[in-house]
Amino acid sequence: MLSSTLILIILSLFLGAGVWLFFVWAVRKGEFDDTERAKYRMLDDDDLPQEVKNEGKKKTDD
Amino acid sequence: MSVQDPCDHCGLPIPEADLVVDHIQGKDHRFCCHGCQGAYRIITGSGLGDFYQRRDWSETGLPQGAYENLYDDAALQAYVFPTTGGAEISLLLEGIHCASCVWLNEKYLSSLDGVHEARVNYGTHRARVQFDPARVRPSELFDAIAGIGYLPRPYSADNAQLAADRERRSLLTRFGTAVFLSMQLMGYSLALYAGYFQGMDPKAQTIIQWFAGGVTTPVVFYAGWPFLTGAWRSVRNRAPNMDLLIGLGVLAAYGYSVYALIAGGEVFFDTAAMIVTLILAGRLFEGAARRQAGAGVDRLLRLAPSRCKRWIGSATEEIDTSQVQIGDRLLISPGERFPVDGTLETGPTEIDEAAVTGEPLPVTRNTGEEVLSGTMNLASAVTLCVTHPATESFIARVSRLVEEAQARQAPVQRMADQVAAWFVPCVLLVACATALYWGTTADPTLAVLRAVAVLVVACPCALGLATPTAVLVATGAAAENGILFRGGDILEKTGRLTTAAFDKTGTLTRGKPQVVSIHPLGVSESFLLQTAAEAEWGASHPLAQGILSAARERGVKIPPTQGGTVMPGRGVEKRTDRGVLRVGSALFLQEAGIELPQHDLATDATEVHIAQNEIYLGAIILNDLIRPGATDCLRRLQKSGLNTALLTGDRQTTGERIGKPLGIGQIEGGLSPEQKARWIETQEKNGRKVIMVGDGINDAPALSTASVGCAMAGGTDIALETSDLVLTKPELGRVADAVQLAQKALRIIRQNLFWAFIYNLTAIPLAISGNLAPIHAAGAMALSSICVVGNSLRLKRALPRRTSC
Repeated sequence: MLSSTLILIILSLFLGAGVWLFFVWAVRKGEFDDTERAKYRMLDDDDLPQEVKNEGKKKTDD
Repeated sequence: MSVQDPCDHCGLPIPEADLVVDHIQGKDHRFCCHGCQGAYRIITGSGLGDFYQRRDWSETGLPQGAYENLYDDAALQAYVFPTTGGAEISLLLEGIHCASCVWLNEKYLSSLDGVHEARVNYGTHRARVQFDPARVRPSELFDAIAGIGYLPRPYSADNAQLAADRERRSLLTRFGTAVFLSMQLMGYSLALYAGYFQGMDPKAQTIIQWFAGGVTTPVVFYAGWPFLTGAWRSVRNRAPNMDLLIGLGVLAAYGYSVYALIAGGEVFFDTAAMIVTLILAGRLFEGAARRQAGAGVDRLLRLAPSRCKRWIGSATEEIDTSQVQIGDRLLISPGERFPVDGTLETGPTEIDEAAVTGEPLPVTRNTGEEVLSGTMNLASAVTLCVTHPATESFIARVSRLVEEAQARQAPVQRMADQVAAWFVPCVLLVACATALYWGTTADPTLAVLRAVAVLVVACPCALGLATPTAVLVATGAAAENGILFRGGDILEKTGRLTTAAFDKTGTLTRGKPQVVSIHPLGVSESFLLQTAAEAEWGASHPLAQGILSAARERGVKIPPTQGGTVMPGRGVEKRTDRGVLRVGSALFLQEAGIELPQHDLATDATEVHIAQNEIYLGAIILNDLIRPGATDCLRRLQKSGLNTALLTGDRQTTGERIGKPLGIGQIEGGLSPEQKARWIETQEKNGRKVIMVGDGINDAPALSTASVGCAMAGGTDIALETSDLVLTKPELGRVADAVQLAQKALRIIRQNLFWAFIYNLTAIPLAISGNLAPIHAAGAMALSSICVVGNSLRLKRALPRRTSC
C-alpha cells in the first residue's frame, strides 16, 4: 500500500518535472515574448486544403 | 465601376488625373499611383493576395516617397549580428496597422531568397529577421519592405531594454516554477489535512511531509528569491516594506515547518509556497500592464530619421543624423520627417505636425520659418538650415523634459508598504515578548515554538494579497474596456482625484473640422457646397475633407474632374468648364481681385470662401465639434465628486462657447503649455489632486505635472508616453469609467486591509497564549485569503461590459 503510493508520488514528480522543463525551454526560446500573437495565429489559414482555397478565390472573383 | 472607387492597394480615393489601371491576374485593378500599383503587384505576385481580404483598417497609408533608400549596406552593417548559420538584424516597422500587416511582412520576408525566419512583434512593431548574408544583403531586405509599402528602420536595443527583457523572463520562469511545484505540494497537503482529521499511518505521514518539504524548498529559495533579497535590502536600509513582511512570513512558515519535520508535528509548507506563488502572479500581471501601456516608447524616440541627406555644393551626401552640425544644409523630400530642428531655406511647404503638437491640420511654413524635428514634410522638397544638433533637437528636449517631470514626482508610497512600516516592527516585538515570557515560565523549546507561531499567524498572507489582487482585477477589468492604468500607483492616485482638467482641441472636441453652416450669396446652399466640393476634389487637407464629407452626407453630386492647384495655406484654384473656381481664405480671394461683401459671421470658426470667376458665391463655416459623450462624462465626473476645469490655448470666449454648455466649473483661456502646467501645480499645492486629459505635446508638461495624466488615443506617441492613464479608444466616457473604477478599487482595498487586520488581531493573541494549533491557524489563514480574493473579484463587474469593443 505504502510502496505503491510512493511510486505514484515519484511518478507524478517526474511528470511535473517534464512539464516544467518544457516550460523553461519555451521561456528561453521566447515563446512568451509576444503573447498578442497567439490569437491571430489561427487566422493564418495557410494550411487550408487546396480546394477550399480555390473555392474562396472563385467567390471573390464573382 | 464608378469614379469614387478607392485605390485597390491603399484604399484612398483616386484623383482622376493620377488614375493607374493595371491588368493583374485576369482582373482590372485601379490605383492612385504607380507606387500602389507596384506594391499590389509584389504582394499578389508572391501569392499573398489574401492580405487585401484580411486587412481591417481604413487609415491612410504612408505617403509616397516616405522611403528614400537612405540605408546602404555599410550603414546597416552596424545593426547586423552574426548567428549560427547566418546573420540577424532587428528592424522597426512604420506603417503597421493591424494583424494582417504583421502577417504580410512576415510572409513576404520569409518568401525572399536567403531569409531563414522573419518575426514581427505585434506589440512593439519590431521585426527580427534571420538571413544568410551570402545570399541576401540587408539593404535588399529594406528595399523589399519598402516595396510593399512599409517603412523599415534599423533597430538596436539598448542595454536598459535588454535588462528589462531578461528581468521579465526570469520572473516568468520563477512564477512557472512556483506554480508547478505548488501544484505538487497541494496534493501532499491534501493528504496531510485528511490524515490530521481521519488519522494516518505515522510512517506515511513522515514520508509525505518530507516530499512536501522537498518541493517547497525551491519555491522559497528560487522563486521567492526576489522577495528575500528585497527583504534583506529593506533591513539594511532600515525601511520596513512589503518585501520584508512577505520574506519574514515565508521564512517563518518554512522554518517552523522544517523544525516540525525534524522534531515531529504538523507542517504547513503550503502556506509559504502559496504566498510566493500568488504574489509573483501579481507582479507578473502588473509588469505586463505597465509594458502594454509603454509600447510607444520606441516609436517616439525613433520619430526622427537616423539618416539624412546633406548638401555639398550642388550634390547631396547621406550622413548619420548624429553627425549633423549647426549650419548644415539638409535636403528633405516630401514624405520625409525632419531629422533635426532648423529653419527653411526654400519654401513654402505644408508640414504635418500632428506627431509633435497634436494639431490635426497641416501647417504652412514659409522660407525662414522654424520647423521641428519629427514633423513630416508634405508638399515639396525643401532645404533645411540646421539650428540644433540631434541631441538638442525638439524631440530630444521634450523627451528629457518629460523624464525630468516624471523623476521629480515623489515616489509613490504604496498603501501596503505604509502598513508594513509599522506592522513589521510590532510583530517582531510581540514575537520577542512571547519568547521572553514563555522562556521564563516554561521550557525554552516551547517558548521558541510559540514565538514562531506568532510570526506565522501574523504572516501577511491576506495582508499581502489585499492590494495586489484588487489592483490586478481592477486593471484587468479596465483593460477590457480600453483603459490602461500604468500600474497600481496610478490606480490609487486616480481613486483620490478631486479635480478633472480638460484640454479643448482634440479632447473635448473631435479635432476634425466639420461643416456647421453654409452662407450662400444669391445661389442655393447645395450649389455652393457642390462648387466647393468640386474644387476641393482630391485634396487631402482636413478642411477639404470636411467639405467633401458634408457634400457626400447631403447627397450632393460631385462631378468627376481633375484635381485643382493647391496654394499651401491659402486655398485651391481650379479651371473648369464654367470658369475658374477659387475656394479658400478671404485673403486668397481678395488677392485674386474678388470683392468680398462686408459681413459679420462673428464666430471663432474657420471660414472658407467660394468664388466662380470674379463672382463671390458665399462662405462655408467649418468648426471643430464637441465629442459625443462629453456631456455625459462631465456629469458623471461631477457626480463622483470631482471639480471640472477647461484649460485651453484658445481665447477665453472660445473656451466658454465649448465649456459653458458642458457645465464645466472653471474655464481658463489663452494658456500656454507652461501656464497650463503652472495652473495644475498651483492646484496641487492647494491639496487638490488633478487629472489632466489632453492629447498633444502641448499638454506634455501639464500631463506630467498632474497627479494623473491621461492621453486620448488617436493622440500622439509622445502623449501616450507622458500619460499615466491611456485610453485605447478616444471616448471621453472612459475617463469617467476609469475614475469610478479607481474609486471603487480604493474602497475594496481598504475593506481588504480591514479584514486582513481583523484576522491578524484576533489570531495573534491566541497564538501568544499558546491556544492556537498550527492546523487551525493554517485553515483560518486560507479562509481570510479567500475572503480577500473574493472581495477583490467583485471589481470585475464594476464596469458595464460594452457590446462594441
